[in-house]
Amino acid sequence: MLEGLFGNIMIEKIFFYLNTYGEGYPLGMAKTFGVSVNRIQQQLKRLENAGIVASILKGKVRIYTFNLRYPFLRELKTLLSKAYEFLPEAEKDKYYRMRTRPRRTGKPL
Amino acid sequence: MKIDWGHISIKDLAALVTRQLKRHGIDALIVGGACVSIYTKNKYLSSDIDFISHAALKDISNALAELGFKRESSRHFERKGCPFFIEFVPPPAAIGEEPVKEKAELRTRYGRIILLTPTDSVKDRLAAYYHWNDPQAFEQAVMVAKAQKVSIREIERWSLKEGHKEKYKIFVERLKKKIVKS
Repeated sequence: MLEGLFGNIMIEKIFFYLNTYGEGYPLGMAKTFGVSVNRIQQQLKRLENAGIVASILKGKVRIYTFNLRYPFLRELKTLLSKAYEFLPEAEKDKYYRMRTRPRRTGKPL
Repeated sequence: MKIDWGHISIKDLAALVTRQLKRHGIDALIVGGACVSIYTKNKYLSSDIDFISHAALKDISNALAELGFKRESSRHFERKGCPFFIEFVPPPAAIGEEPVKEKAELRTRYGRIILLTPTDSVKDRLAAYYHWNDPQAFEQAVMVAKAQKVSIREIERWSLKEGHKEKYKIFVERLKKKIVKS
Protein backbone atom coordinates (compact mmCIF):
# COMPACT_ATOMS: atom_id res chain seq x y z
CA MET A 1 0.00 0.00 0.00
CA LEU A 2 2.77 2.43 0.93
CA GLU A 3 5.41 0.29 -0.70
CA GLY A 4 5.77 2.66 -3.64
CA LEU A 5 6.42 5.54 -1.26
CA PHE A 6 8.82 3.76 1.09
CA GLY A 7 10.70 1.85 -1.57
CA ASN A 8 10.00 -1.68 -0.34
CA ILE A 9 7.38 -3.75 1.39
CA MET A 10 9.55 -4.57 4.43
CA ILE A 11 9.78 -0.91 5.43
CA GLU A 12 6.00 -0.67 5.30
CA LYS A 13 5.62 -3.73 7.51
CA ILE A 14 8.23 -2.52 10.02
CA PHE A 15 6.50 0.85 10.22
CA PHE A 16 3.09 -0.73 10.82
CA TYR A 17 4.67 -3.01 13.42
CA LEU A 18 6.27 -0.14 15.35
CA ASN A 19 3.17 2.01 15.03
CA THR A 20 1.06 -0.78 16.48
CA TYR A 21 3.27 -2.27 19.18
CA GLY A 22 5.50 0.73 19.96
CA GLU A 23 8.70 -1.31 19.83
CA GLY A 24 10.18 -4.49 18.43
CA TYR A 25 13.29 -6.59 18.01
CA PRO A 26 14.55 -8.05 14.73
CA LEU A 27 13.90 -11.73 15.54
CA GLY A 28 10.37 -11.00 16.75
CA MET A 29 9.57 -9.03 13.61
CA ALA A 30 11.15 -11.69 11.40
CA LYS A 31 9.01 -14.41 13.03
CA THR A 32 5.88 -12.30 12.70
CA PHE A 33 6.37 -11.66 9.01
CA GLY A 34 7.98 -15.03 8.16
CA VAL A 35 11.13 -13.51 6.69
CA SER A 36 14.81 -13.79 7.55
CA VAL A 37 16.25 -11.79 10.44
CA ASN A 38 18.88 -10.40 8.07
CA ARG A 39 16.24 -8.85 5.88
CA ILE A 40 14.67 -7.10 8.86
CA GLN A 41 18.04 -6.00 10.28
CA GLN A 42 19.08 -4.56 6.94
CA GLN A 43 16.00 -2.36 6.77
CA LEU A 44 16.18 -1.37 10.43
CA LYS A 45 19.78 -0.31 9.91
CA ARG A 46 18.74 1.79 6.94
CA LEU A 47 15.97 3.44 8.96
CA GLU A 48 18.29 4.02 11.93
CA ASN A 49 20.89 5.66 9.69
CA ALA A 50 18.18 7.96 8.42
CA GLY A 51 17.20 8.90 11.99
CA ILE A 52 13.68 7.50 11.66
CA VAL A 53 14.06 4.67 14.17
CA ALA A 54 16.29 4.43 17.24
CA SER A 55 17.51 1.41 19.14
CA ILE A 56 18.63 0.53 22.63
CA LEU A 57 20.37 -2.60 23.85
CA LYS A 58 18.43 -4.37 26.62
CA GLY A 59 20.42 -7.33 27.84
CA LYS A 60 21.42 -9.06 24.64
CA VAL A 61 18.52 -7.83 22.58
CA ARG A 62 18.46 -4.66 20.50
CA ILE A 63 15.04 -3.06 20.81
CA TYR A 64 13.87 -0.68 18.09
CA THR A 65 11.34 2.13 18.40
CA PHE A 66 10.48 5.13 16.31
CA ASN A 67 13.04 7.85 16.93
CA LEU A 68 11.04 10.22 19.09
CA ARG A 69 13.31 13.04 17.96
CA TYR A 70 12.58 12.53 14.26
CA PRO A 71 11.05 15.91 13.29
CA PHE A 72 8.44 14.42 10.96
CA LEU A 73 7.36 11.61 13.28
CA ARG A 74 3.91 13.00 14.00
CA GLU A 75 3.18 13.30 10.27
CA LEU A 76 4.61 9.85 9.54
CA LYS A 77 2.45 8.28 12.25
CA THR A 78 -0.63 10.07 10.95
CA LEU A 79 0.05 8.65 7.49
CA LEU A 80 0.60 5.16 8.90
CA SER A 81 -2.55 5.28 11.02
CA LYS A 82 -4.57 6.36 8.00
CA ALA A 83 -3.04 3.65 5.80
CA TYR A 84 -3.63 1.03 8.53
CA GLU A 85 -7.37 1.56 8.23
CA PHE A 86 -7.15 0.33 4.66
CA LEU A 87 -5.33 -2.92 5.50
CA PRO A 88 -7.37 -6.11 5.07
CA GLU A 89 -8.71 -7.41 8.39
CA ALA A 90 -6.94 -10.74 7.80
CA GLU A 91 -3.60 -8.97 7.60
CA LYS A 92 -4.33 -6.95 10.74
CA ASP A 93 -5.23 -10.17 12.60
CA LYS A 94 -2.16 -11.99 11.37
CA TYR A 95 0.48 -9.35 12.05
CA TYR A 96 -0.78 -6.50 14.15
CA ARG A 97 -3.16 -7.96 16.74
CA MET A 98 -0.85 -10.24 18.67
CA ARG A 99 -0.97 -10.61 22.43
CA THR A 100 1.16 -7.99 24.18
CA ARG A 101 -0.16 -8.25 27.75
CA PRO A 102 2.10 -10.08 30.23
CA ARG A 103 2.03 -13.80 30.83
CA ARG A 104 3.33 -15.16 34.12
CA THR A 105 6.50 -17.23 33.79
CA GLY A 106 5.71 -20.94 33.84
CA LYS A 107 2.01 -20.49 33.15
CA PRO A 108 0.81 -23.14 30.66
CA LEU A 109 -0.48 -21.68 27.39
CA MET B 1 50.85 24.20 12.21
CA LYS B 2 51.53 20.75 13.65
CA ILE B 3 48.50 19.24 15.31
CA ASP B 4 48.82 17.21 18.49
CA TRP B 5 45.94 14.84 17.76
CA GLY B 6 46.36 12.96 21.02
CA HIS B 7 45.73 16.03 23.16
CA ILE B 8 43.48 18.06 20.92
CA SER B 9 40.51 19.76 22.58
CA ILE B 10 37.01 19.08 21.35
CA LYS B 11 36.64 22.74 20.36
CA ASP B 12 39.84 22.74 18.30
CA LEU B 13 38.87 19.48 16.62
CA ALA B 14 35.45 20.91 15.80
CA ALA B 15 37.15 23.92 14.23
CA LEU B 16 39.61 21.82 12.21
CA VAL B 17 36.80 19.66 10.85
CA THR B 18 34.61 22.68 10.10
CA ARG B 19 37.51 24.37 8.27
CA GLN B 20 38.29 21.25 6.30
CA LEU B 21 34.67 20.77 5.27
CA LYS B 22 34.41 24.43 4.32
CA ARG B 23 37.40 24.01 2.00
CA HIS B 24 35.32 21.42 0.18
CA GLY B 25 32.28 23.69 0.10
CA ILE B 26 30.47 21.78 2.84
CA ASP B 27 28.54 23.51 5.63
CA ALA B 28 28.09 21.67 8.90
CA LEU B 29 26.41 22.46 12.19
CA ILE B 30 27.64 21.08 15.52
CA VAL B 31 24.88 19.64 17.70
CA GLY B 32 24.54 17.30 20.66
CA GLY B 33 26.97 16.69 23.50
CA ALA B 34 29.87 18.56 21.87
CA CYS B 35 27.91 21.82 22.26
CA VAL B 36 27.55 21.01 25.96
CA SER B 37 31.31 20.44 26.25
CA ILE B 38 32.04 23.73 24.53
CA TYR B 39 29.48 25.75 26.48
CA THR B 40 30.47 24.29 29.85
CA LYS B 41 34.22 24.47 29.16
CA ASN B 42 34.42 20.67 29.37
CA LYS B 43 32.58 20.33 32.66
CA TYR B 44 30.90 17.61 30.65
CA LEU B 45 33.23 16.06 28.09
CA SER B 46 31.64 14.42 25.10
CA SER B 47 33.51 11.58 23.42
CA ASP B 48 32.30 12.54 19.98
CA ILE B 49 31.29 15.51 17.88
CA ASP B 50 27.93 15.33 16.16
CA PHE B 51 27.64 17.31 12.96
CA ILE B 52 24.62 17.84 10.74
CA SER B 53 25.21 18.48 7.08
CA HIS B 54 23.11 18.17 3.96
CA ALA B 55 26.17 17.18 1.93
CA ALA B 56 26.60 13.62 0.64
CA LEU B 57 28.49 11.35 3.04
CA LYS B 58 30.80 10.42 0.20
CA ASP B 59 31.89 14.06 -0.17
CA ILE B 60 32.27 14.42 3.59
CA SER B 61 34.32 11.24 3.65
CA ASN B 62 36.67 12.55 0.94
CA ALA B 63 37.15 15.84 2.77
CA LEU B 64 37.86 14.20 6.14
CA ALA B 65 40.24 11.67 4.62
CA GLU B 66 42.66 14.54 4.05
CA LEU B 67 42.73 15.04 7.84
CA GLY B 68 43.33 11.33 8.35
CA PHE B 69 39.78 10.46 9.37
CA LYS B 70 38.44 7.16 8.14
CA ARG B 71 34.79 6.28 7.76
CA GLU B 72 34.24 3.44 10.22
CA SER B 73 30.51 2.92 9.83
CA SER B 74 27.85 4.50 7.72
CA ARG B 75 27.94 7.78 9.63
CA HIS B 76 30.94 7.88 11.93
CA PHE B 77 34.60 8.70 11.39
CA GLU B 78 37.70 7.98 13.44
CA ARG B 79 41.32 9.01 13.29
CA LYS B 80 44.18 7.03 14.73
CA GLY B 81 45.46 8.76 17.87
CA CYS B 82 42.52 11.13 18.14
CA PRO B 83 40.44 10.63 21.31
CA PHE B 84 37.21 11.87 19.75
CA PHE B 85 35.22 10.43 16.92
CA ILE B 86 33.02 12.35 14.56
CA GLU B 87 29.48 11.49 13.68
CA PHE B 88 27.27 12.93 10.98
CA VAL B 89 23.72 12.61 12.20
CA PRO B 90 21.01 12.59 9.56
CA PRO B 91 19.58 15.98 8.60
CA PRO B 92 17.50 18.08 9.02
CA ALA B 93 18.74 20.08 11.99
CA ALA B 94 15.75 19.99 14.30
CA ILE B 95 14.95 20.21 17.96
CA GLY B 96 11.86 18.20 18.62
CA GLU B 97 9.42 19.13 15.88
CA GLU B 98 10.95 22.50 15.12
CA PRO B 99 13.75 23.32 12.67
CA VAL B 100 16.87 25.01 14.02
CA LYS B 101 16.46 28.66 13.07
CA GLU B 102 19.40 30.38 14.73
CA LYS B 103 23.03 29.30 14.88
CA ALA B 104 25.91 30.42 17.07
CA GLU B 105 29.39 31.11 15.83
CA LEU B 106 32.56 30.90 17.91
CA ARG B 107 36.10 31.77 16.97
CA THR B 108 38.95 29.41 17.77
CA ARG B 109 42.63 29.37 16.85
CA TYR B 110 41.76 27.02 13.98
CA GLY B 111 38.91 29.13 12.67
CA ARG B 112 35.21 29.48 13.27
CA ILE B 113 32.76 26.85 14.38
CA ILE B 114 29.03 26.90 13.83
CA LEU B 115 26.97 25.33 16.58
CA LEU B 116 23.60 25.40 18.32
CA THR B 117 22.93 28.51 20.38
CA PRO B 118 23.09 27.94 24.16
CA THR B 119 19.28 28.08 24.33
CA ASP B 120 18.92 25.51 21.54
CA SER B 121 21.62 23.36 23.15
CA VAL B 122 19.51 23.25 26.33
CA LYS B 123 16.42 22.36 24.27
CA ASP B 124 18.40 19.71 22.39
CA ARG B 125 19.43 18.04 25.67
CA LEU B 126 15.96 18.43 27.14
CA ALA B 127 14.52 16.71 24.06
CA ALA B 128 16.48 13.58 24.98
CA TYR B 129 15.24 13.88 28.57
CA TYR B 130 11.64 14.53 27.54
CA HIS B 131 11.44 11.71 25.02
CA TRP B 132 13.73 9.07 26.50
CA ASN B 133 13.93 10.03 30.18
CA ASP B 134 17.68 10.28 29.78
CA PRO B 135 19.08 11.56 33.11
CA GLN B 136 22.50 12.42 31.61
CA ALA B 137 20.89 14.67 29.02
CA PHE B 138 18.90 16.36 31.81
CA GLU B 139 22.10 17.09 33.74
CA GLN B 140 23.74 18.44 30.60
CA ALA B 141 20.78 20.77 29.98
CA VAL B 142 21.14 22.08 33.53
CA MET B 143 24.89 22.56 33.07
CA VAL B 144 24.49 24.63 29.90
CA ALA B 145 21.67 26.70 31.37
CA LYS B 146 23.85 27.51 34.39
CA ALA B 147 27.00 28.22 32.38
CA GLN B 148 25.49 30.35 29.61
CA LYS B 149 22.91 33.03 29.12
CA VAL B 150 19.79 31.25 27.84
CA SER B 151 16.22 32.28 27.16
CA ILE B 152 14.06 30.50 29.74
CA ARG B 153 10.97 31.95 28.09
CA GLU B 154 11.90 30.27 24.77
CA ILE B 155 12.71 26.98 26.51
CA GLU B 156 9.33 27.12 28.23
CA ARG B 157 7.47 27.90 24.98
CA TRP B 158 9.16 25.01 23.21
CA SER B 159 8.68 22.59 26.11
CA LEU B 160 4.95 23.28 26.27
CA LYS B 161 4.67 22.88 22.50
CA GLU B 162 6.43 19.52 22.78
CA GLY B 163 3.87 18.54 25.43
CA HIS B 164 6.25 18.23 28.37
CA LYS B 165 5.01 20.76 30.90
CA GLU B 166 5.67 18.53 33.92
CA LYS B 167 9.23 17.68 32.96
CA TYR B 168 9.91 21.33 32.16
CA LYS B 169 8.83 22.18 35.72
CA ILE B 170 11.35 19.68 37.08
CA PHE B 171 14.05 21.34 34.96
CA VAL B 172 13.16 24.83 36.23
CA GLU B 173 13.07 23.64 39.85
CA ARG B 174 16.50 22.12 39.39
CA LEU B 175 17.85 25.39 37.99
CA LYS B 176 16.61 27.22 41.07
CA LYS B 177 18.44 24.87 43.45
CA LYS B 178 21.62 26.24 44.87
CA ILE B 179 24.73 24.14 44.59
CA VAL B 180 25.75 22.91 48.04
CA LYS B 181 29.49 22.51 48.37
CA SER B 182 30.63 19.90 50.85
